[in-house]
Amino acid sequence: MICPIQTKESAEILVDYCAGTLDPGRAAEFEKHSEECADCRRLIEAQREVWERLGGWKPGAVSPDFDSRLYARIAQEEAAPRWSQWRRFLQPAAPYSIWKPVLPLAAACAVLAIGFLIRMPNSRDGAKQVSAENVDIEQVEKTLEDLDMLTPLTVPPARPM
Amino acid sequence: MDDPLNSAQPSANTRVKRDMEAVAALGRDAELMLRVRDGDDTGFTMLLERHRAPVIHFLHRMVQNQAIAEELAQEVFLRVYRSRATYEPTAKFTTWLFRIATHVALNWLRDGRKEKGQESLNQKLLDGLERQVPDSGRNIEEEMLYEGKLCEVRQAIESLPVKQRAAVLMHKYEELEYSQIAQALGCSGAAVKSLLFRAYESLRARLSHMA
Repeated sequence: MICPIQTKESAEILVDYCAGTLDPGRAAEFEKHSEECADCRRLIEAQREVWERLGGWKPGAVSPDFDSRLYARIAQEEAAPRWSQWRRFLQPAAPYSIWKPVLPLAAACAVLAIGFLIRMPNSRDGAKQVSAENVDIEQVEKTLEDLDMLTPLTVPPARPM
Repeated sequence: MDDPLNSAQPSANTRVKRDMEAVAALGRDAELMLRVRDGDDTGFTMLLERHRAPVIHFLHRMVQNQAIAEELAQEVFLRVYRSRATYEPTAKFTTWLFRIATHVALNWLRDGRKEKGQESLNQKLLDGLERQVPDSGRNIEEEMLYEGKLCEVRQAIESLPVKQRAAVLMHKYEELEYSQIAQALGCSGAAVKSLLFRAYESLRARLSHMA
C-alpha cells in the first residue's frame, strides 16, 4: 500500500478509519501499512484524540417551549394576509455588507446602459436622414434614361432565312 | 373524444407512483414530508420530534450560543413548513434539512450579527454560570478540567472557517455522508474531502498533543 500521507487519499482514509467508517478491507490494509509507517501511526493517534475530544462536547437540552413557540410563529404566519408573505421575498437574500462593494459597479453599469439607450435612437435617426438625403429623383430618372439608351444597342438574334 | 378527467388521471397516478418510489428509496422522513405536503400536520410534528435536537445541536455548535441556535432552528423549521407545498422527494430529507440549517447559520454568521449575540466563553467561565452538560457526578477539580477541555474544543471549532466548521460538524456529530455534506454546502464531494482534511488538520494542531 502507498502511504496515504503522500497521496490525496490520505484525508479520506485517515478520517474514515478513525471514524470507523472505512470498509473492512481497506481498514485492514491501512492497519497493516501503519504497523510499518511511524508517520501514519502518529497521525492516527492524533486524529483519534481529536475525534474523542470533539465527542466530549454535548450541547444542552432544548428549551421545553421550543415547539410551542414554533407553532405560534406558524399560526401567526398562516393568519397573516397573503400580501404580507411577499415581504420576505422582497428582502435581500444577502446582507448589505455583501452588497456594498457591488453597488458602485452596478451604478457604473446603469450609467453606461442609460448612455447607450440615449445614443442609440439618435444614431438610427441620423442614418435614416443621411439615406433620405442621398436619394435624388433626378439621378434616378437619369439612370432609367441611360438604361433605355442601352436597349437599342443590343444585337437582335439572327433570324433563320 | 378525450375525457379531461381521464386524461388528467395518468399524471396524478404517475406522481403518486414517483412519490412512492422516492419514499421507498429515501425512507420515513420523505414519507412524513409528503404527508405534510398533502395537508397532514401530524407529519410535521413527527418530523420536528425526529430532527429538532440534531438541528439545534448543529446550530449551537455553529454559532456557539444556545438561545440563538434555537432562534435559528425555528427559522429552519419554519422554512421547511413554508416549503411543504412544493416539496419533492429528490434527496434525503436530512440533506435538505441541513442544507437549510447551514444556509441559515452561514447567513447569520456573515451578517455580522455574531458580534451582537456571541456569548463570550471566557466571560461565561468567569461568571460561573451553569454549563450545559448535566451533572455527571464529577467533583470540582474534574469539573474544572472538563470545562477547560470543553472550552478548548469550542474555541478550536470556532477558529475554523465557517464552511470547514459546518463540514466537520455535519461529519462528526450528524454522521452525514460526504455526498450529503456536499449537497448541504453546495459544493463537490472532492471539495468536501478537502474541507474536512484541512479542518481536521487544524483541529489536530490545536487539540492533539500527538500532532
